Amino acid sequence: MTGVLNRYGWSLGLLAILAGLLIATRIIQPNFGVSGLDSLARAALPFAFCTAGMAIVVIAGGIDLSIASVMAVAGVIAALLMQQMGDASAGLVVLVVLAAGIGMGVINGALIVLTRGPDIVVTLAMLFVWEGVALLILNAPGGAATPWMRELVVGGLTLPGVPAAMTMWVPRAFVVLVALVVIIWLPLRRSKLGLSIYAIGSDQHAAFRSGVAVGRTRIAAYGFAGLFAALGGLSITLSTGIGEPIPGPYLLASVAAVVLGGVALTGGKGGLLGPIIAVFILRTLRLDLTLLSVDPNVTTIIEGTIMVAVVMAGGLLAMRGRH
Amino acid sequence: MTRLLLTASAATILLGIGGAMAQEYTLGVSNTVQGNGWREEMICAIKAQALDSGMVASLNIAHRNTDAAGQLEDIRNLIQAGVDAIVVNPANPDGINAAIKEATDAGIVVVAVDQAVTEPSAYVVSNNQEEYGYLGAKWLFEQMGGEGSVVYMRGAAGASADNDRDTGFKRALAEYPGITIAQEVFTGWQQDQGKQQILDLLSTGVPFDGVWTSGIDNVIVDAFVESDAPLVPIVGADNAGFVGQLATVEGLVGAAVTNPGSIGGAGVAVALQILGGDAPAEQTVLVTPDLWDNVSDEGKASIAAAQNPNLDPEWPVSVSIEGFTTYTTEEIIACKGPGE
Repeated sequence: MTGVLNRYGWSLGLLAILAGLLIATRIIQPNFGVSGLDSLARAALPFAFCTAGMAIVVIAGGIDLSIASVMAVAGVIAALLMQQMGDASAGLVVLVVLAAGIGMGVINGALIVLTRGPDIVVTLAMLFVWEGVALLILNAPGGAATPWMRELVVGGLTLPGVPAAMTMWVPRAFVVLVALVVIIWLPLRRSKLGLSIYAIGSDQHAAFRSGVAVGRTRIAAYGFAGLFAALGGLSITLSTGIGEPIPGPYLLASVAAVVLGGVALTGGKGGLLGPIIAVFILRTLRLDLTLLSVDPNVTTIIEGTIMVAVVMAGGLLAMRGRH
Repeated sequence: MTRLLLTASAATILLGIGGAMAQEYTLGVSNTVQGNGWREEMICAIKAQALDSGMVASLNIAHRNTDAAGQLEDIRNLIQAGVDAIVVNPANPDGINAAIKEATDAGIVVVAVDQAVTEPSAYVVSNNQEEYGYLGAKWLFEQMGGEGSVVYMRGAAGASADNDRDTGFKRALAEYPGITIAQEVFTGWQQDQGKQQILDLLSTGVPFDGVWTSGIDNVIVDAFVESDAPLVPIVGADNAGFVGQLATVEGLVGAAVTNPGSIGGAGVAVALQILGGDAPAEQTVLVTPDLWDNVSDEGKASIAAAQNPNLDPEWPVSVSIEGFTTYTTEEIIACKGPGE
C-alpha cells in the first residue's frame, strides 16, 4: 500500500485537485454535466498528446521545443491528404501522418546525437524548420478532415450490450486518449527500450557503462515524441476540420503540464499519468475562469500562479518525505 | 383584499418581466489575438457598445493568444457559461464551425466579426479583407505610374485575413503588368519586426518605388525619416499614428485604407438586435473599406477629419461604425464594459 502511495502519490494528489476543480465547476455552473465533460475532453485531447510526447523526451533527459511545429506539420499533412484522397483512405492517411511524425522526431533526435548539440538548441532550430515546412505544405488554413473520423471523438461512449445511460457520460475523446496512451506507453515502459529511456535520463554515463546504446535510445525517445505530436496534430485537424500551418500554444502548455505532472526536468523521473492529469487540471482551470468571467488579462496570471504554487507545494512535500 | 393582492402580484410579475427584458443579456466574446492595438480596440468597442446599449448585464470575455482548436474550447466554455449571444473574431473561416453549430443549436446567437465564418447559422459582420488589399494596391500602382517595383509587407503567414488581402493585392497586380514585387516579407503584424525589415531593405540599397503594408505602417514611415531615405508612396491602414503622419510628414505621399476595429461594437449591436427579435435581413453584412489618400482633396478632407491625438497610435481612427455603434469616442477610449 505504501509502495503504491509512494509511486503514485503525486498523481493521486493531482487527481484530488482535479476532483476539487470539477466540484467547483459544478458549484459555479450547476448545469455543468455530460456536454461539459465532453467539451473538456475534446479540448484536452491535443494538449494531452503533446504533453505525452514532451514527457517522454524529458524523461530521457532532453526537451523538444519543436513539438508544436511538428504538430502543425502533422495537422496540415492530415488535412491536405484527407481532402485529396477521399473518405475511404482516411485510415491510410492516419498511418502516413503518424509515420511522418515519427520521422520528424527521429530527425530531431538524430541531429542531437550526431551534432552533439544541446537538445534545447537543436530543437529550437528545428522549431523554425518544421514551422516553415508546415507553411510550405499549406500557406493558409485549408484542407479538410474526413467527417466519419471527426465523429469518432464527439459525444459519449456507447458499448454494445451495455445500457447507454451507463456509459454516455464518458466522453469518447477521453476513451480515445486513454486507449492510445495505454497502447503506446505501457508496452514501451516495460520494455528494455523503456528502461533505457529512464536510464539515460537519470545518468547518461552510468547508462553507457551498463551497456545502454545512449544515442539510439535518445533517437527512439524523440521518435515517440514525434508520434505523440502527430497524434496531437491529427486531433487538432479532426476537431477544427481543417489544417492550420501556424503552430498553436502547445509548446509551453506541454512543458507546464509535464512539470506539474511530476516529471523532473532533469530527466529520469516520472511517467505519463501525472502529466495527463495535469493537462485536465489546466483545461478545467481555464473553463472555471471563463465561467467566472474573470478579466482575460488576469486569467494567465492566475494560471501561472497556481502552477507555481502546486509545484512548490510538491517540492516541499518531497523534501519532507526524504527526511 | 385578495383581489388587490392578486393585482399587485400580477403587476410585480409584469414589472419583473419588463425589467428582465430591458437588461438581462449575458454576452460572450471570443478572440484569439491578445496585445495587438487593432484587437484591443475591437474589445473596447465591444465593451463600450454593451455598456451603451443598456441591455447587457455582463460580458464574458475569452481573450488570449491561441489557435482555432483553442477557440473551439473557448466557445464551448462560453456555451457552458450559458451566455445569450457570442461575438467572435474567428481564428479562421472554417476551423470553429463545429463549436458555432453547437452554440446556435443551444439557442445562442453567434455573430462573427472582422472575418467571415462558413457556418451558415452564424451572422457575419465582417471587414472585406480582399477589397482592403485591392484598394490600397491599386492606388499605389496608380501613384507609381504603373511602372516600378514595390515592397510587399504582408501580415502573418498562414493567417486567413492575410490570405484574403493577398488575393486582392494579386488582383491589382495582374491589372498593372509594369509593376513587379521587389521584396515580399511577412511582418507578422509586429511593429518591431516590420521596422527591422524595412531598415534592412533601406540599408542594403535594394531599389523600390513604393511600399504596401498590411497595417504595420507608422513605423515604416519612421524608418524612412530616421534613415533620411527619400520617401516613396506608402499604403497603410487607418491607424491613428499613420493617419497623423499622412497629414504632417513632409514629402510623404500615402493612403490609409480603413479597417475599423470598432467592428466588434457593430457585432454587439447586431447580436442585441437579433436577441430583441429583429434579425437583419441579410445573414452577412460586409463593411467595405474606404481609401483616404493625402493627394486628392477628398482624401485630405477625410484625413483631416479623422485626426485624433487621444488615440493610441496603433488604434484605427474609425472608432465607430455608422448605423451600428452608438457609443461616444470617450466611451471607447475609456474601455469600460457593464459592471466595470
